[in-house]
Amino acid sequence: MSKRAAGSTACLVGIGETRYAKWGGITDTSEYQLAVDAIVAAVADAGLSMDDVDGLASFADDRNEATFAAADLGLPELRYASMSWLPGGGGSCAAVANAAMAVETGACEVVVVYRSLCQGQFHRFGQGPGGRPPRGPSQGPARVPGIRKARTLLDAHLAFTMPFGMFSPPIAYAMVLQRHMHRFGTTPEQMGQVAVTTRAHAARNPRAVMGSRPMTMDDYLQSRFVSEPFRLFDCCLETDGACAVVVTTHERALDLRQVPVALLGSAQGTPRGFGHGQYANVGMPDDDYTSAGARTVADRLWARTGLGPQDIDVAEIYDHFTGLVLLSLEDFGFCGRGEGGPFALSGALNWPDGAMPINTHGGSLSEAYIHGLNHVVEGVRQIRGDSTCQVEGAETCLVTSAAGVPTSALVLGRR
Amino acid sequence: MNMRWFPDEMPVPGVNAETNGWWEAAARHRLVVQRCTACDQTRHPPGPICPRCRSTASQWSDLPGTGSVFTYTVVRQAFIPSLADHLPYIVIAVELDQGGGARMVSNLIDIDPFDVSIGMRVDVVWEDMGPQLAVPRFRPATGAASGSATGSTTGSATGTDAKGAHA
Repeated sequence: MSKRAAGSTACLVGIGETRYAKWGGITDTSEYQLAVDAIVAAVADAGLSMDDVDGLASFADDRNEATFAAADLGLPELRYASMSWLPGGGGSCAAVANAAMAVETGACEVVVVYRSLCQGQFHRFGQGPGGRPPRGPSQGPARVPGIRKARTLLDAHLAFTMPFGMFSPPIAYAMVLQRHMHRFGTTPEQMGQVAVTTRAHAARNPRAVMGSRPMTMDDYLQSRFVSEPFRLFDCCLETDGACAVVVTTHERALDLRQVPVALLGSAQGTPRGFGHGQYANVGMPDDDYTSAGARTVADRLWARTGLGPQDIDVAEIYDHFTGLVLLSLEDFGFCGRGEGGPFALSGALNWPDGAMPINTHGGSLSEAYIHGLNHVVEGVRQIRGDSTCQVEGAETCLVTSAAGVPTSALVLGRR
Repeated sequence: MNMRWFPDEMPVPGVNAETNGWWEAAARHRLVVQRCTACDQTRHPPGPICPRCRSTASQWSDLPGTGSVFTYTVVRQAFIPSLADHLPYIVIAVELDQGGGARMVSNLIDIDPFDVSIGMRVDVVWEDMGPQLAVPRFRPATGAASGSATGSTTGSATGTDAKGAHA
C-alpha cells in the first residue's frame, strides 16, 4: 500500500442537494439561495455544524462568491477559499481536490465544495452571445459589425470561433466526434447507447429530472440534429439546482455521522498545448483532438492511487455530450483508443450487469446539469452503498470532470 | 462585389494586443499565420511567445489561402435568431497550406452539406462584415482533387509543413 500513501488522506463526509428542475423551473429561489441551501444540507448530512466550516471551494466562474457565502452563512472564520481555473465542468473534481489539499496541509479543517447553476436565471453556461436569453427584460440593441476590444484572453480566443457560428459547446464537440468517427468508425448508435443507458439509470432516481421519460434507441435516433453528428439527445440537460460536498481530514472524519468516503487520489491539468481544449483550439495534435484531453490526468491518477481501470467498480463520467463519454472511457483506459463506441454498445456501461456501470444517477444527460458536482455526490453514494443503482459492494468509484476542456478526476473509496 | 453569406448579427470578434495584427491583415483580405522568427514554428490563434523555443519575436506570414478540411459539423439549430434563415451552415476546422500544421475554424460555403468530407480541398473567400471586419470563409477548391494529409490519422499541430504540397 505504499503507493496508496502517496495519494490523498482527505475524506468526503457530507453531501447535499437541492431539488433539480428543468431550465427555468426554479423561479421562486435564487441561484445563490440554492447554493446556500445545498451547503447547509451537506453540513447537516455530515453531522457537523456550520461553526465547524472554515473553507469554501468552487469552480467554473462561480457567481456565488465564497466570501459572501462565508459571511452570510456566519462562518466563524474563513481560512480557505478557492475556485479552480479549470474551465466549466473541467473543475468539478479539481474543486474537491483543492479542498482536500487544503485540509491535508492544515490550511483549514472543513471545506464545503459547492456548485449552483440556475440557467433559467442566467445565460446558459459555455454559450456565446447567441445563447438563449435569460428570463427577464430583453437584451440591448444589435451590435454594429466591426472590431471591439477583447474582455479576456478567452474572449480573444473565441474571436476565432464565434464569428464562424461556432457558438456553443455542441458545435465544437460535434467536430471532435466527426473526426473520431472518421478515424475510428464510431457510430451514432454507439453514442446513443450512452444516452439510453443513463436514461435507464435515471428512471430509478427520484431526483432525476428525466426520470419519468424513458428513451429507446429509436427515440434517440429520431431526435433532431443540433449539430451533426450530435442530436438533441446527445446533449446534456439544461437544469436548475445546486449540490455540495463536505471535505475534511481522515482523523476528523472518523468521529462523524457518515461512514467516511476516502479520496484515494486526484489529478488535474492538461497535456502540452491543450489550451482551453477543443472548444477554442483546433490546432492540437490529432491524438489529443480526438481524445477527452484527460490522458495525462488519467496516468497521474492511476500512478498516485496505485490503481488502474481494472480496479474500479463504478464510474461517474462527466457527460455533457454522449460522444465525449466514449472519449473519457478511452482516456482512462477502460477500453483501447478508438474503442469507446463498441465498448458502450456492448452493454458494458449498463447497471447492474455491465463490466463498468457508469452514471448510476443518470448523469448530466438525465439527472441534472450541475457541472458534474452531482457526479461527485453520486460517487459518495456509491461508496456509502446508498445509490438508487447501487453497484453491490462498490469499493472504488472513478469520478471525472468535463472532457474537452482542462479537466480533473478523483478516485473515491474506502480506507 | 461584396458577397455575404452570414447575417450582420454574427458575433463581433474581441481583439487584444496579440491578435490585433491577424484581424488587421484579415481586414485587407490577407490570410496570415503568426510565425516564430527564431524557430519558424507557427501558432494560431496568435500568442505572445513561441511555445516551442519561447522566443517572443514573431511575424505575420502570408498564406496562399488554400487548405483541407480537418473536421466539420453541419449546424442545424439557430443559436442566434437571424441564423434561422441560414440553416444548415457548415463549420470546419481547416488545415492551412504552408501553415506549418496550423488549423483554423471557419465555414464551408457553396456546398451541399451531404457533399462535405474530411480531407476535401478548400479555398479562402472573404466576407466583409463591417468597416473594419473581414472574415475568411472557405469554398470547395475549384478543380482540385479531394484528399490530403489531413485525412490521415497522423496529422499533428507540430507536423510537417505542408509548404509546396498543394502548390
